[in-house]
Amino acid sequence: MKHIKSLVLAVFAVLLSVTYVLPPTQVAADSSSALGIAPKKNYVIEPGNSVQDKLNITNLDQATALNLTLRVIDFSFTGNGGTPKLFLDTNTPQTTWSLRSYLKVPQTVTIDPGKSKQVDLNVAIPKGHGAGSYYSAIVYSSGSGQGGNIGLNASGVTLVFVNVPGKVKENLDFTHIGAYDRAAQGDLSGYHYFNTQAPDTIAYTLKNNGNVVEAPAGNITLRDIFGRTTTINELNPSSSLALIGQERTFLTCVKLKPEDVKLGNTTTKSSTCDASGLWPGYYSVSADLFYGQNGNLTQEVTKVGGFWYLPWWFIGVAVVVLGVAGFYGWRAYNKIRNKLYGPRVAKTKSARRK
Amino acid sequence: MGRMRRTLFLLHTLFHSWRYICTEEFVALLLALFVFMVPVSATTRFETRGLLMQTTDPGATTSYTVTLKFMSPEQVGSLDMLFCNDPIPYMPCAIPTGLDVSHATLTNQSGETGFSIHSQTQNHIILARTPTVPIYPSESSFTFSGIVNPTDTSQAFSIRMKSLSSIDGTGPLIDFGSVRGQVETGIMIQSQVPPMLVFCAAQHVDDNCAGTDETYYRDMGTLSPHDTLTAQSQLAVGTNASQGFVVTANGPPMSAGTSVINSPVLPTESQQGTNQFGINLVENTVPAIGNNPEGTWANAVPSADYGIPNKYKFVSGDVVAYSPNVSLMRKFTVSYILNSGKDLRAGVYTTTITLIASGRF
Repeated sequence: MKHIKSLVLAVFAVLLSVTYVLPPTQVAADSSSALGIAPKKNYVIEPGNSVQDKLNITNLDQATALNLTLRVIDFSFTGNGGTPKLFLDTNTPQTTWSLRSYLKVPQTVTIDPGKSKQVDLNVAIPKGHGAGSYYSAIVYSSGSGQGGNIGLNASGVTLVFVNVPGKVKENLDFTHIGAYDRAAQGDLSGYHYFNTQAPDTIAYTLKNNGNVVEAPAGNITLRDIFGRTTTINELNPSSSLALIGQERTFLTCVKLKPEDVKLGNTTTKSSTCDASGLWPGYYSVSADLFYGQNGNLTQEVTKVGGFWYLPWWFIGVAVVVLGVAGFYGWRAYNKIRNKLYGPRVAKTKSARRK
Repeated sequence: MGRMRRTLFLLHTLFHSWRYICTEEFVALLLALFVFMVPVSATTRFETRGLLMQTTDPGATTSYTVTLKFMSPEQVGSLDMLFCNDPIPYMPCAIPTGLDVSHATLTNQSGETGFSIHSQTQNHIILARTPTVPIYPSESSFTFSGIVNPTDTSQAFSIRMKSLSSIDGTGPLIDFGSVRGQVETGIMIQSQVPPMLVFCAAQHVDDNCAGTDETYYRDMGTLSPHDTLTAQSQLAVGTNASQGFVVTANGPPMSAGTSVINSPVLPTESQQGTNQFGINLVENTVPAIGNNPEGTWANAVPSADYGIPNKYKFVSGDVVAYSPNVSLMRKFTVSYILNSGKDLRAGVYTTTITLIASGRF
């Protein structure tokens, strides 16, 4: 009996060490990881009503079927930009704006190579549900890596926003406005008071203290030191949103250049910032923004900021001009002084002693 | 001291004579005029402004209820309502696409009443009544039926309102203010494709995601304090959505049982002999691995921390690549480096990196 016991323990120990030390077996995946999905869905649903919609999913891989696992998770925001912060952990508690209980999608989908499939999406808002904005995300998980040191998973996400109409709490605080460096992706460090390159982007930051996502309307006026104005009407060309609790930086262009982007046989609208054509100097920036959901009060927030645009060539020219002016000014001063009081005489040692 | 006394004396002589011209009473009168007269003569904004659209479906014929509170105690003979994209009163008025109020009828009014439609066009309604000073202390509301909603869901529209003493919407205004509305249910415009996000990831992918090598794992070799193990994978991503996309890298640190190889939280050079796992998305020389992003859409870029050659980091959930707006397709190469110290416990170190592409909001 003792012999058998030690034999079993030895086998177990060997198995354990082999499992631990040997590289895991590499299992070839037989699924595509190339998918096309809708990045965002928006719905307006009255309490007690539901929406039956279709999610269009495309398998772009021409050779292999796409096996997807779908699940609904919550998300929030990352920083001041438009990046969703996905709560991937299945144990994460629901957010107060979660749609997880109301949004239903199939758990698995298989799509043939090069084909598209429409899968059901159902959102049902219960009766008596409070007005406001609710949002969650659908995660589509594909190609799974099993084996080797590094496994790879590819997933896509659709953000789903539902607006439940009614009396909502809306409050936006205007916190920042000014010239902005787009590379900062919404971060407040992107605001620059002194600019050596002509700013083409104007940004404004709003803190959303309400229970609805917000996208303001209105305009921004730039005024130079001579009083000339440039008005920006497209305040939110990317249709960005301030999520609940987010301090969101919205970006717009001094001069917006609309573009038609070709995608297959059709076109889609886009826009980029054109050269602003600003002259060196100080600019004041004033914004007049309006917000308010349907059936709620329209509210207005304003803010004034400013920035300097001083290109290096301008600073160089200014230094040279000031230097030349200083030089000739000093010469003129000496000339006048000499005419009035006579030339300066250096004091001798004996004169200083006296 | 004497000089200061002289200066004070000069100042006193200067202002002494002014005292008889600008008496205290005169200054007080000026202040009173400033405090009390200015608000009365200046235009003020309507308070508690709001708009209720019975339905927000684009292009639908529906009713609008506009609420506002008259603020100035002056006779109001007309209420001008101009429908524009921009809410600012002095800006040029662009008519919201699809909107039509030319057949609207005033079906209900409360608070300050007695109004009827004086004139109307596609985006303009003037209400008129016998000029009367508003007496109703709370907000007034006006309901119009037969209004055709705008069709553009991408932007809000506004009603610029102003009250006037005349009965035809002319002359100096009394109060003003705008309300905001927006159609919300999406409709597809024939000439445009619906927003789409395209994404693929594997060891090798085609530029347009039409194919991959279907390899989703990689053996990096045997760990040694004198070697840097490397691997690479590729991802291609694009979207025609105006908000652009982000790709995040998610996953646990590389580990074997309870033994973990941590990752630098800041971009760090590869250092042999230390425990280090990191990634970046650009071409590197130390070690020689990776590629710069490929494709014409230059607005899709690696994020700052993952775009420095020869510097690596990995923090789960970090954005590794993004585009702030439309970017149809761009291919990125993800480089992985793995270093180990001599004290690292023996074992097979593994991790699974989940690359997630999502739209922005």
